[in-house]
Amino acid sequence: MRFSLAIACKNIRRRPVRAALMCIIVLFLSFTAFMGGYLIISLQNGLDGYRARLGADIIVVPSAAQGHGTVDNVLLHGITGNYYIPQDSLRKLDGIEGIEKNTCQFYLTSAKASCCSARVQIIGFDPVTDFTVTPWINSNIDSGISDGDIIIGSDIAYPADGSIRFYGESYHVAAQLEKTGTGLDNAVFTNRNTIDKMAHSAAGTVERETLKDIDPENAASCVLIKVKDGYDISAVADDINIHISKVRATPSVSMIESVAQGFGNVSVFISVITVGIWLISVIIIIAVFALMMNERKKEFAVLRVAGASGKMIVSAVSAEAAVISITGSVIGLVISLILTAPLSESIRNHFSLPFMQPDMMIMLFLSVGSVVMPFLIGVITAVLSAFRITGNESGLLLREDA
Amino acid sequence: MKLTAEKIGRMYFRSGRDTNFFYAVQSIDFEPEEGKVTVITGRSGSGKTTFINMLCGLLTPSCGKVMLDGKDIYALSDRERSLLRNRSFGIIPQGQTGLQCLTVAENVLLPVSMYGRAGEKEDKAKKLLEMLGIDDLWDVYSNELSGGELRRMSVARALINDPGIIVADEPTGDLDGDTTVLVMELLKKRSENGAAVIIVTHDKDVMPYADTVYTMEKGVLKKQ
Ligand SMILES: Nc1ncnc2c1ncn2[C@@H]1O[C@H](COP(=O)(O)OP(=O)(O)OP(=O)(O)O)[C@@H](O)[C@H]1O
Ligand SMILES: [Mg+2]
Repeated sequence: MRFSLAIACKNIRRRPVRAALMCIIVLFLSFTAFMGGYLIISLQNGLDGYRARLGADIIVVPSAAQGHGTVDNVLLHGITGNYYIPQDSLRKLDGIEGIEKNTCQFYLTSAKASCCSARVQIIGFDPVTDFTVTPWINSNIDSGISDGDIIIGSDIAYPADGSIRFYGESYHVAAQLEKTGTGLDNAVFTNRNTIDKMAHSAAGTVERETLKDIDPENAASCVLIKVKDGYDISAVADDINIHISKVRATPSVSMIESVAQGFGNVSVFISVITVGIWLISVIIIIAVFALMMNERKKEFAVLRVAGASGKMIVSAVSAEAAVISITGSVIGLVISLILTAPLSESIRNHFSLPFMQPDMMIMLFLSVGSVVMPFLIGVITAVLSAFRITGNESGLLLREDA
Repeated sequence: MKLTAEKIGRMYFRSGRDTNFFYAVQSIDFEPEEGKVTVITGRSGSGKTTFINMLCGLLTPSCGKVMLDGKDIYALSDRERSLLRNRSFGIIPQGQTGLQCLTVAENVLLPVSMYGRAGEKEDKAKKLLEMLGIDDLWDVYSNELSGGELRRMSVARALINDPGIIVADEPTGDLDGDTTVLVMELLKKRSENGAAVIIVTHDKDVMPYADTVYTMEKGVLKKQ
């Protein structure tokens, strides 16, 4: 073993170009493995978060909202155009069959006037019944949301004192969410009690006349519904439209699917590229190692003449391949790690894709994998090609010109 | 150390038009004497290299046996046969056989370092190189040597382990008259110390050192 390692090191030192070439191929392999995995997992994470946010099967909006109350507007922007569902309509929902969960949201648009710091969409959700916003918010911040607190989207700027004014009152910014690439980046989230308070102070202003006629505690901008397993979503939506007046129920499925499909396409695209690059690199590695071993037939024969066994030659070759592969794959990983931050930043900014970095465990797993896999591929190919050659008779190898 | 070849022959496949295979060496009985220099001559392509490669464990005979002290060397495992080659055979192959990643010293000490006692024989390697007139090349990488220097380096490598059997394929091929004398004196001294020396050569200058001469003709060995 000591001899194998020594001869391996001498080979690397005396043939630096050959070693560097192999090193670069392995580096490439480890870089693509890490980056491909990282991008796919991040996009998948982002998509999962997105799905959860879009996790309602049916959206019920006030029928007066008309064009404002589209699924897209409701789920991704929090807009229903200042129309509200009255309390008696809300109560009737309990009589509809097939509803597993439902939760009310109350939307308020801040006025662009001296009373408010910025014109944004404020989304009030009920922490008790909510199933769409909470999982996402919880993945961003640790604690829940308390009365008087707001959580703001990534695009909202706020003053250094950490509070924003709406309709004459100041609210404490508890957290800022990560960028999602949707209208929600420009939204403010808060709980039901807080938004009730905002609605009360808004009711007195000129901009929000419509609020005068409604009681915020008992009205809603929309109701998000999750349908029980086994029930047909459109049938439940139809049921609501038939039996409850002043509301419009729309299945959200088609939209979620089209969004998911868009992201799915990107993931597939990245997977295909990653697998493609991998296949090509593996083929290149196999070809290069095989060629190199061929070129070294005479060298092996000389070792045989001096008394080396086939096993000694194979272990010298694997030691050499191991040193080269580990160097290449570690450098590849380091480069990948350095590039992840700027890369995710530019993907968020340029493509507006939901992109959530994997957690530490998965990053660790990816790192180990993208070092071990190329390492194994390098060593195994080298050993196999060495085996193929040492299997020949030394007396025949000696005739090879080198 | 008693080396005996019993009816060894070697068949090769040829991708020609008519016969696909032929015997390059045909059923040879051979017993080199210890303490003697045995020379084998013969026309190019007559099977000399094939024959001596079989003798030293580098090429498996298609038929017959090669026995060393009563043991069939091709019945041994690859590891055992390799160790045997390392300990008992000094092989100077035809053509150039320097390892380019090693210096002259490392090349000469290769058979020693392989089984883990490199430092011990440095003095011996120095002395061998001195006798061959290339001790000044000790630290030089072997790809910077001339043909004759490489040849002498492989002679030193073959002798470093004091083998009982020395097999040399054209050991003086690239050498001038004076250097040929250096190499042949060295090999002759080894035979006088008890080694069986087998030399394949076309070189007339080698003949005076021969105790026994054989001629190879179309795979058949004849004593002269
Ligand atoms: N691997 C091989 N496959 C097929 N034929 C071979 C192979 N090696 C050698 N031969 C043939 O076997 C015959 C003997 O070859 P060998 O090298 O033993 O001759 P030689 O006597 O050493 O010649 P030279 O004096 O030129 O070195 C030649 O005709 C050669 O073409
Ligand atoms: Mg020959």
